[in-house]
Amino acid sequence: MAPPVTYDAIVIGGGHNGLVTAAYLARAGKKVLVLEKRPRVGGAAVTEEVFPGFKFTMFSYVVSLLRPEIIRDLDLPRHGLHVLPLESTVTPMENGDYLAAWGDHDETRRELYRHSPRDAEAYDEYGHLMHHMAHAVRPILAMVPPDPTSLDPRDLLALLRLGRHFRGLGAERLHALVKLMTMSSADFLDEWFETDVLKATKSASGIIGTFLGPRSPGTAYVLLHHYMGELDGVFRAWGFAKGGTGAISDAIAAAARSFGAEIRCDAAVARVLVKGGRATGVALENGDELSARVVVSGLDPRRTFLELVEERELPAEFVADIRRFKFRGSSGKVNVALDALPSFTCMPGVGRHHRGAISISPSLAHVERAYDDAKYGEFSRRPYMDIVFPSMIDPGMAPPGKHVMSVFVQYAPYHLNGGWTDAKREAFGDAVIDTIEGFAPGLKSHILHRQVLTPADIERITGLSEGNIFQGELTLQQLFFLRPAVGWAKFRTPVRSYYQCGAGTHPGGGIMGASGRLAALAVLGDGA
Amino acid sequence: MSAAARWDAIVIGADVNGLVAAHYLARAGRRVLVVEQREAPESRLDVGWVPPQIVRDLELAGLRIEQPDPWIAAPLDGGGRLELRRDIGQSVENIRRVSPTDAARWPEFCARMRRLAGVLERLYVQPAPDVETRQIGELLSLAGLGLHVRRLGKQTVIDLLRILPMSVAELLDDWFENDTLKGVLGAAGVWHLRQGPRAGGTAFNFLHHHVGSPAGVFRPPRSNIGQVLAALPGVEIRLGDGPLVLLGKDGRAADVRLGSSGDEIDAPLVVSSADPRVTFEPLKPHLDAEFVRAVGNIKARAVVVRGTLALDRPADFRVLCIAPSLDYLERAYDDAKYGRTSARPYVEACAENGRVELHVQYVPAADPALAGAVAAALGVPAGRVSLETPGSHCYHGELTLDQILFMRPVPGWSRYRTPIDGLYLCGPGTHPGGGIAGAAGRNAARVILQEKVRS
Repeated sequence: MAPPVTYDAIVIGGGHNGLVTAAYLARAGKKVLVLEKRPRVGGAAVTEEVFPGFKFTMFSYVVSLLRPEIIRDLDLPRHGLHVLPLESTVTPMENGDYLAAWGDHDETRRELYRHSPRDAEAYDEYGHLMHHMAHAVRPILAMVPPDPTSLDPRDLLALLRLGRHFRGLGAERLHALVKLMTMSSADFLDEWFETDVLKATKSASGIIGTFLGPRSPGTAYVLLHHYMGELDGVFRAWGFAKGGTGAISDAIAAAARSFGAEIRCDAAVARVLVKGGRATGVALENGDELSARVVVSGLDPRRTFLELVEERELPAEFVADIRRFKFRGSSGKVNVALDALPSFTCMPGVGRHHRGAISISPSLAHVERAYDDAKYGEFSRRPYMDIVFPSMIDPGMAPPGKHVMSVFVQYAPYHLNGGWTDAKREAFGDAVIDTIEGFAPGLKSHILHRQVLTPADIERITGLSEGNIFQGELTLQQLFFLRPAVGWAKFRTPVRSYYQCGAGTHPGGGIMGASGRLAALAVLGDGA
Repeated sequence: MSAAARWDAIVIGADVNGLVAAHYLARAGRRVLVVEQREAPESRLDVGWVPPQIVRDLELAGLRIEQPDPWIAAPLDGGGRLELRRDIGQSVENIRRVSPTDAARWPEFCARMRRLAGVLERLYVQPAPDVETRQIGELLSLAGLGLHVRRLGKQTVIDLLRILPMSVAELLDDWFENDTLKGVLGAAGVWHLRQGPRAGGTAFNFLHHHVGSPAGVFRPPRSNIGQVLAALPGVEIRLGDGPLVLLGKDGRAADVRLGSSGDEIDAPLVVSSADPRVTFEPLKPHLDAEFVRAVGNIKARAVVVRGTLALDRPADFRVLCIAPSLDYLERAYDDAKYGRTSARPYVEACAENGRVELHVQYVPAADPALAGAVAAALGVPAGRVSLETPGSHCYHGELTLDQILFMRPVPGWSRYRTPIDGLYLCGPGTHPGGGIAGAAGRNAARVILQEKVRS
């Protein structure tokens, strides 16, 4: 006799998407268990006390775009979510000048005017267009991608509806959308602006998490993300969660628990149990077997399909597609404990700029050259960096009078020539600090501790394949109905009762929680 | 009476597209004058697919379409060359010597690419699909296209969706391991682009240049279609006069002023195969600012120079390709990215009737060191290479994903019409772009003739 089924659903991986899926399933009355291999939930969105008294958001660094419907449905503020705005971005330039974008629109415009009256004029029109484009794209982020190869009337109807949505945008926006989807951010921005440092700073947002440079086609699309947060009226473009990004994971976990979900840490899943083409549960690394009606994987596509299930359970073409799916982690993270804030040459002393982001993108050539190094298998000698001082926004992150500096760095290719070693990791850390020191002399004398994380470290600690923070590159051929593979972009998998809910599915990383929510809806829609 | 009544249409440019448009109009009974800036017709062979519809409609006798066999040879590290031939079996044998795995994959790769190129061919002999249309006819044609693709099988749909936005490097890395093979194929992906093989959209450019070739041949055919068209009776061609389109009194493009003679000729219809940016330059005051901005935003950064190689004995190759790896191409592009000429350029040499013609990329600006670099790449003495000065982009606009189909030449104006009544475009700056001989000219003429019938 078969043992009784213990759970309605088991979610593998307690990253934020897995937690969102669990919360939605539990909210619908399902008996849910989340299994996380690490001692704490959050996946790449965790806050840890790396050095005594100094807390860091380990891998990610700012809150991008938690879907507003998730915040609402899961009542996250009640569970401890508190987002503080990151109000400015300051880019120090090589000549000692700077470019600043402040929270106040008029002030930003005046600042831009200082660099180029023409660009200040174009800025409003550009913002207007991007605002509308974000509106146009938003419904797509919240929809289940139709299967373009299917002849099922439901898919054809959905494709038709999608076609009508695009045509409904009107010619001008449709054309802008095509450009955004296909152009490089540098080319796209060239059509609008002339100030190099402005284009460099804006285009830098297009390369985050990709193995592409600002002159690589396909990077313009990410420019839109910055405008998506704003229009939801919930967050400003970028924010910082009180308590670090881990606090978001904790809030979602608390919500899931309040709906009755069970979350088990230190519980690594070895494989998914499959009988007769149907998932029946999971086997843990300690040998325990747990049964469930439905298994949902929040891990990336490589782990979900090539590690957790036997290859013979999957069609050969699908396996080939997943093998081809590109990860190529390209970013690193340097977490620094400071005894004082660094003083930047362009804005000496301590100021409000320390409450925002400092972007090390002094020119397009700087960012592009950083990419050139990575293209041939080296880390950037002078990388692009996005720096924040979380202790300025949330004093709880560091001991009194001291500070934490969180540095997101690109590029650090996973596939480094000769592989990552301890020596190379430190050399990479030196390149990061030396480059910042160039804009903030004296920084080094304030460093108490430094933690350097390469994509290899990120993979080792979180399990994200090749250390890609988005669970797979966000390139055009890996988006929408192609994510992670044609025909399997609807959160289902070739194994019945086995689902996927990670950022490796539509709409992908950087749009927090959307995959998890859509996956939960797919599970519930199938009547599980 | 002025010369006004003499012509029904003036075609600017006696290149293949201009002449094809002129002859289609002439065959429909229009009196057509073709004006051409050059003193003599182009003597070089035309590169690119000649759609069979044109050969049939214009009854082109004496047309020669050539595709060398072997179509490419590339030096191998250990000496010798990798030669790829029209015959897939022979190529498999040759590839086997450098990589048995790649040899095994060659036939399947060729078949898959051929199927995708076939889809492009169908798209190229009609105006770009109008995605904004609300007309039933257009919608049916869009649906028909979808159905056509679907009938080719699920795999073709998947390939189209996946491959078109890809980089040619990703595409080739999916299939092959040998650097020489990937270099030879990758080069076709960057032809006339200021992009390296790792840039998204270069897989499309690779397929674009596969159009019109049989499976297993990844260089476009060459033909004498320009010469055949120039000799075809039915239209008058005036050479050596630089034309300028001017706006007529009634807001129509009625006047064409000829530069050297100063003659003004008017006709109710002007069809320009010149670069859209050049065509619209004198008309700017009459155009709306958005349109002028869109034209100004056309990316047409020339990166190719042509030249010749003088050899003291007959060449021992038909086409020789110096692009030993994808990294080689990428590094050649890196130089161009910062505005410099490639220190180690991609060079292709094509031997024909005792002449060796060169294609050299990337050359964003003139550079005295370039001839030496080209000679070094070919392994010949520097004095044997002579290069032309870099000119404007011969496709009048790069074939990047944001500048094709309904985005070409500028978004919303892909159907050969312009904001100025009576002025049409028919050059490579319009759909389907350069490297296709006469398709734009034919599509434009058909649009014009349909509109005239309707009005």
